[in-house]
Formats: sequence, structure tokens, C-alpha cells
Amino acid sequence: MNRMEDAKRKYAEGPIPAELSERVLQEVEKANRRRKYIIVRHSTKKLMRRGLAAVAVLAVVFAVGLNTSTAFAGAAADIPIIGGGARVFTFRSYETKTDDLKISVHIPGIDMISQEFSELEVSVNTEIHALCQAYADEAVKRAEEYRQAFMDTGGTEEEWEAHNIQIKVWYEVKAQTEEYLSLAIMGAENWSSAYSKTRYYNFDLREGKIITLKDVLGEDYAQLAGESIRLQMKEREESGGVEFFDEELPEVNESTAFYMNEAGHPVIAFEKYEIAPGAAGPQEFEIVQ
Amino acid sequence: MKQDLYEKIVTYIIENQNNFYRLAYCYVQNQEDALDVVQNTACKVLEHYESLRNEDAIRTWVYKIVVNEILRFLKEKNKIRLLEENEQMELSYEEKAFDIQEDLYTQINHLDVDEQNIIKLRFYEGLSLKEIAEITEVNLNTVKAKLYRGLRKLKAVIRPDDIETY
Repeated sequence: MNRMEDAKRKYAEGPIPAELSERVLQEVEKANRRRKYIIVRHSTKKLMRRGLAAVAVLAVVFAVGLNTSTAFAGAAADIPIIGGGARVFTFRSYETKTDDLKISVHIPGIDMISQEFSELEVSVNTEIHALCQAYADEAVKRAEEYRQAFMDTGGTEEEWEAHNIQIKVWYEVKAQTEEYLSLAIMGAENWSSAYSKTRYYNFDLREGKIITLKDVLGEDYAQLAGESIRLQMKEREESGGVEFFDEELPEVNESTAFYMNEAGHPVIAFEKYEIAPGAAGPQEFEIVQ
Repeated sequence: MKQDLYEKIVTYIIENQNNFYRLAYCYVQNQEDALDVVQNTACKVLEHYESLRNEDAIRTWVYKIVVNEILRFLKEKNKIRLLEENEQMELSYEEKAFDIQEDLYTQINHLDVDEQNIIKLRFYEGLSLKEIAEITEVNLNTVKAKLYRGLRKLKAVIRPDDIETY
């Protein structure tokens, strides 16, 4: 037996600690956050442009879909109207599976009961649809690039298939009351949590508009929420559960992700790795005044 | 364009993190230290990816950073002697000869660091000598000379094509 082969085997058989991927992802998340500040403007613009182009087409499709397709209207009508004047239904859903890639997409739609709010309804549904589609398309592209990189570095077809890549876009109704409808739309890829995304939509059903943190918490919402979060972070640290990153907490502003819970309180949601190690999971803070 | 490069690099380090860890581990011989080295590497790679001009060079560029991080770590821990000292120590090292009981894996770790780098990258990580020359920033002939010197010390039975193919 070749002695070099033995040495190599000993080298390759060394155990890989479970913590490794977490430590690497921490750095990726840190870099993602750094980059967000730089590219957020750019990509928002791009998304808006893409969204606007889709508006014209989609508004028609949606209107026609609801009015003329009995199957479509029937499906929407099956869902009971809970609470106030809106319901959430699966606007479009598809699943595709190839040898090495499984994609499952469930795009929600909002149905506002009041005709007055139909403009909001169409614009929101259009935006959601574009958002979900863009995520799914980008995820497929990323998976393809990953595949390419994997093959280029000597991976085999079988090894690649074992990756069992899955892409998922789905939604969850966070709260539905007389006053609020709160919806979370999520995208995830099973091979890397670095690209997981959650986007929240919160509606004021009485006013027929999207709610901001300012609407719920008042003028000094940023300070209020910031204080409450820091307090809760301290509690979590003291109870020994979570060790937050040392860096400054991201400032609460208009674009801070949050949803409304059933109690009518805003819950500020940080994604996994955003402010704490991945093992601690996503961190959420209910802000009670 | 830049976005693509960034994503490529992220994919590359996620895909190859086990390799980086193993390489780091076989120098530092300690899990915590090896994790630190890999994390520092990821951090540096992602901070400076824009300085990578040639996309095809991701592999050598990242390995260069891994190796630098390993050496920096060892230096900080005072585990390697200063270079001048090293040159002088070499002879006595060689004369002492290796403990026959030790396996090759351990023997490799006793080589002089330059030789270790080349042998580990070549045989453990499967990099070409040309890539190793780029990573260690010395010319190809020097890489070859050091490789042969290291192998002579090991007196290992190495297939000739292991050395010649690159």
C-alpha cells in the first residue's frame, strides 16, 4: 500500500465539526449585510422596474382570472373570510421537479372585499407576484451556478444529485383580525441559508393601506422599538439562551421587517444570522407599548 | 458582474469549507484553532473579493488566503521558528531522521513549513504544482525542488506521475 495514500486517507478522514458551516455562514451573512448597504438602492430600483413592467400584464391577468375563470373564482371563494374585509388565497402555485432540482412555489394573493381598495389589491398582488417570481428565478440561477462550480471543481453527476437541491417559495398568514391582515412571504433554498428571505406585508383593513411601524407606534417608533429590542436582547442573554453579535444593532427604520400579531402588536423580525449566531434561529421581538 | 463574482465566491467557500478546515487542521492540530483559521479566511475572502481580477483564479486566490491565514496563525502562536533559524535547524532535523514508527501523515507535519505547504497542497488537496507556485508565490522550479527535497526526507514511495502531472 502506498504510504502517501495512507497519509491522504488519514487527512481526509479527519472529522468535520458541525460548527464549521455555521462559522462560515456567519461570515457570509456579515458580508451580505455589508453589501446590502451598498447595493440595496441599486437592486430596489431594478426590482421596481421589473415590477412595473409586470404591472400591466398582471393587472389584466388577475382581473380576468378572478372574473371569468369559474375554477379560479371558485377556489378563491372556498376560503372563508375570517375577520375583516380581506382574505388570502393561493394566487398561483406550481411545482417542478427535474433530476437534480425541485422547485415548489406558492404565491399568495390578497382579496380585498371592499371595492374601494381594489387599487391597493392589484398593486400589492402584482408586487407579491413579481417578488416571488424574481426570487424563484434567481434561486434557480444560483442553483445552476452552484452546479457549475461543483462540476468545475471535479464533482460527479451522482454526487451532485445527492445534493437534492430544493427551492421553495411559500407564505404564512401571521395575523388576520378585524383591523389587520399580516402576511409573511418566504423564499428558501435548502443548500444555503445565506439566501433565505422573508418579506412581510401588513395591511390596515379599515383604511385600506399598508401599515408602517410609524402608524402603529407613533412618531418616535425607531427609538421606542430600539429600546424595547435592546431590553429583550439583554433578557435573552441573561437567561443564557442567546449570545448576540457584538456589533451595533441595526437601526430601526421604515424598511425594518415586522409583522402584526393577533394581539395587534408589531413584531420586529430579524432573520437567522442577522443579529445572532444561526444556532439561535431567527430573533423576533414583540413591541408592546 | 460584480454580483456574479460575489456569489461565485460565496458558493466556492461554502462548497469547499471542509477542504479548508482539513488543511487548517493538519497544521494547527486543534479543532478550535482550525475553525478560527477558516472563519478568518472566509472573512478576508469576502472582504477583499473585489481585488480578485481574474474570475478563473478563485481557487488559487482562496487557497493563498487559507495558507496565509494558517501561517499567520502559526507565527502568532510562535510555533514556527524565524526563517533564518529554520535554515540552520534543517540539517540537524534531517540527521535525526524520522521515527520509523511514525506514519507518513505525522512525518509530513515535521517537515519544514515550505515543504509541508507544497506536499499538503499537492497530495492532500490535489492542486497542481503550477497552482501551488501561484499560491506560495515562488516559481515553479523552486516548488519542484522543494517538493523533491521534502519527499526525499520522507523517503516515501511516491508514484512518479503524482509529481509529474500538473
